[in-house]
Amino acid sequence: MIVGFALYPLAYEALLATPAAPFAEAFLPAITFMVVVLYTGLFAMSFDFISGYTGYLSFGHAAFYGTGAYFVVLAANGQVPGIPGGTPFMITLLLGAVVAGLLALVIGSVSFRLTGVYFAMITLGFAQVIYELIRSWGYVSTNPTEGATVSGDALAIGVPYVDALSLDVGRLTGESVENLLGLGIDLSTTVVSYYALGIVVVGCYFAMQRILHSPFGRVMIAIRENEERARAVGYPTYRFKLAAFAISGFFGAVAGGVFAAYSRSVAPDGTFYFLVTADALITTIIGGFGTLAGPVFGTLFTQGLEDVLSTESGGVATLLREGLPANVLEADLFGVSLELFVNTAVDGRAPLYLGIIFVLFVLFVPNGILGTLRDRLGGTVGKRLPDYLRRYRR
Amino acid sequence: MSLAPLAGAAPQIASLVDPGALLATGGAVDGLRTAARVLAEGIGKGAVYFTIAVGLTLVFGLMGVLNFAHGAVAMVGAYLGGLVLVLVVGANTGTLATILVFFVALALVFAVTTAAGSAMEVALIRPIYDRTPTYQILLTFGVSLIIEEVARIVLTLRGIQPNPQWQAPMGTAPDVLLGRTELFGVGVRRLYLFEVAIGALVAVAVWAFLTKTLYGLYIRAGSEDTEMVQALGIDVRQAFTVVFGVGTGLAAVGGVLLMWDPIWGPSVLLSIDVLLYAFVVVIIGGLGSFTGTLVAAGIVGIADSVTTWLFTTGIVTFPGLSEVTIFLLLVVMLIIRPQGLYGVEEVGGH
Amino acid sequence: MTTLELDEVHTYYGESHILQGLSLSVEAGEIVALVGRNGVGKTTTLRTALGLTPPREGTVRFDGEDVTGMEPHEIAARGMGWVPEERRVFSHLTVEENLRVAAHSAADPSAQIAEAYELFPALDRFSDKGAGDLSGGQQQMLAIARGMVGDNDLLLVDEPSEGLAPQIVEDVVEALRAASADTTMVLVEQNFRLAMDLADRFYLVDHGVVVEAGETAGVTSEDERIRRYLTA
Repeated sequence: MIVGFALYPLAYEALLATPAAPFAEAFLPAITFMVVVLYTGLFAMSFDFISGYTGYLSFGHAAFYGTGAYFVVLAANGQVPGIPGGTPFMITLLLGAVVAGLLALVIGSVSFRLTGVYFAMITLGFAQVIYELIRSWGYVSTNPTEGATVSGDALAIGVPYVDALSLDVGRLTGESVENLLGLGIDLSTTVVSYYALGIVVVGCYFAMQRILHSPFGRVMIAIRENEERARAVGYPTYRFKLAAFAISGFFGAVAGGVFAAYSRSVAPDGTFYFLVTADALITTIIGGFGTLAGPVFGTLFTQGLEDVLSTESGGVATLLREGLPANVLEADLFGVSLELFVNTAVDGRAPLYLGIIFVLFVLFVPNGILGTLRDRLGGTVGKRLPDYLRRYRR
Repeated sequence: MSLAPLAGAAPQIASLVDPGALLATGGAVDGLRTAARVLAEGIGKGAVYFTIAVGLTLVFGLMGVLNFAHGAVAMVGAYLGGLVLVLVVGANTGTLATILVFFVALALVFAVTTAAGSAMEVALIRPIYDRTPTYQILLTFGVSLIIEEVARIVLTLRGIQPNPQWQAPMGTAPDVLLGRTELFGVGVRRLYLFEVAIGALVAVAVWAFLTKTLYGLYIRAGSEDTEMVQALGIDVRQAFTVVFGVGTGLAAVGGVLLMWDPIWGPSVLLSIDVLLYAFVVVIIGGLGSFTGTLVAAGIVGIADSVTTWLFTTGIVTFPGLSEVTIFLLLVVMLIIRPQGLYGVEEVGGH
Repeated sequence: MTTLELDEVHTYYGESHILQGLSLSVEAGEIVALVGRNGVGKTTTLRTALGLTPPREGTVRFDGEDVTGMEPHEIAARGMGWVPEERRVFSHLTVEENLRVAAHSAADPSAQIAEAYELFPALDRFSDKGAGDLSGGQQQMLAIARGMVGDNDLLLVDEPSEGLAPQIVEDVVEALRAASADTTMVLVEQNFRLAMDLADRFYLVDHGVVVEAGETAGVTSEDERIRRYLTA
């Protein structure tokens, strides 16, 4: 999996040089989209960490993503008291994640008084209030509804204060590498960012996986399977849930932070808004609820679909518009030309198709891509299998 | 908690407030008048909150299903109702005729969405009753995404902006509703009175359905113990289908009511706005409690109108004040009484 | 005529195999007691008969008709009443409304309810009271009355004496005796003496199967063949 991610940019560049380029452009995700897969995938994993493993749907998870993103941007602009403007990104990223973890403790201490649907609703409510506050908080920028932008230098991922071991990220401001290790391979800014972000995401993945495979993680699963029994056995489930929520918030904020470093600007709608959580939810269900790695597959799937349906870098709409003869495009469909229909019902309409796919997954593939795969390939993931079978039968 | 339409509506609200009443906030008598006006407006808003929330609580009470598509249906209701009015009402249509058309639209939209809701229950929700409630949330949430996207596509194809509000149906509101009526010495917007009337109508209809019909009896019994009702020979599944349909229809009725209200109005963003406000009302009142929803809607309405007044008078300059206040009400309620005002259900029992 | 017949039923809760080939039959007009330790499958037997926990194997016949796999409401509508453990009255409904929910399928619901009030005069006095406000004994009466209305031929009664004071238990026993004049009854009861007192026949259940059966006359818990199944 990781190797696949590592080799993808090279394969993609190679394909674009072949005659199959138009189709590759239309149907394969561009590297910019792959960068999106990285940070949204990490966010979805953090969502799955709490929701998939303890069974508590964190519907307000965007609050943590937003906290991480805003913290990084504000810190880079010297707007966070006590943190000088030039503090390395890796440090502000960590601090932002800690802040989000604390926020999770606060939200969780109220929300974990409740279970089931109540928990989902109250966390959603918290996130929406924070969203509302951020939208009208003049301190952030002169136009808070539009968010804030990093005004200074590029943010670097790597070892703080060691330039040789740091890489600047960002679509325009990032570093590019020429003739990598003397192999004659040139890496564009996007590709460098892709690898730099990738390192962070992989690190977070292993950290979360470590936690889930520890005794702590087993208590989380016990809470999901039967909370009363877990309590009866003597686990202070409230504290376990709070801790898990804080960890989940921490990694959610890391995702937001690397997103902010890459995009260099944050807006309330792209960070704190409810639909940010919704995206994580969709990718998690499609990829596999309670599988940790599944959400990344899900993100790959959904981002791929979005890429295919968007015109920003090739995509089906472009292909249709360019490939179909003019008389077909102008054909009348209930008083609307096909071209207009393609423009509105295909172009950028990924959420519609995702919604449909999502509903189908909930109905027919409740364990998601990875969950179902693990069910089928019982032998290779034997350790996890009993859990899944039990859930399947229920 | 609200989004663009509310934030964007702030200056609109300001222009709606009678400047005379504002300047006069100093005197004791005038202070009393202002209080009366704020209270009256709060009740008007409360009527709206009740209408958008009652279907949600009905469905949850019986079935334990939290319908995340509730707001999306309300949004569809606002557009469908608007469509009827735009098609039928012309420049020369009289006030009475317009209001008549409004009621026809209300009935029509209710019928269509009730049927659609029942179909949705049979096709999508019935297969997953035996799973954890999480999946019901996920499913209805997915449906709301689809509804919202389809709405965006249809609107865009028809050359209507999905956001902000669709102005055409809002323009069909008869002039008489836009004015004010002297009530206890204060000018109250007639639209609020109209909304109170509709809210009362819905409340009485739902109450009568629950207490005067055999079906209502099953629903009240089923809200307590579905299995017991089944063991008494009642087809609970059929009741589920009916109730989900009616709950969906009520959501759409709420949407039709919002269509003329300048604070709301038909826009795709209604989907999440209505959902969140309905959640707040229903949790404060106690999930599944009809009385609770009624009382909570009143409380939230008054809190909204007081905070809106504070903002428009300039005492508080934060535009999100009323959303934050309403949400804080929710948090306080959850801390001191998690089951809500009238909730008896063991929290998370569903 | 045989009212209820369970033939080699196997019932599961998830993966737990509760009833392991249990068979029994109940003739019209009699009271049959199911006795045995906690957790041996007595309640599950009742739930299986009513279709609430349908069997994976075996058949359930009610009044000669095979009802295996039917929905609970279909079986109940054929005349099977249930007085569940812990009574489960609808506490937000009035006494009268509790009875009306159950009487819906009867030809003349009002007559049925009037009959129930005749049998349980205490309920008549509280007909407009919320069922949740009744005492435990009154709630048990209501649960029995609710199980009877709706032209039921068979009443499944689960632990009617549980959690009630001794004098109240006597009232409940009287109520059950009165009810049995009109209907056949299957009784699950922890109190062995009480069960033998009320019932005509008994089935002793252990680990999901019937281990002893017979007439109740003269049977005491000191009986060796009984005792070893009742003591832990």
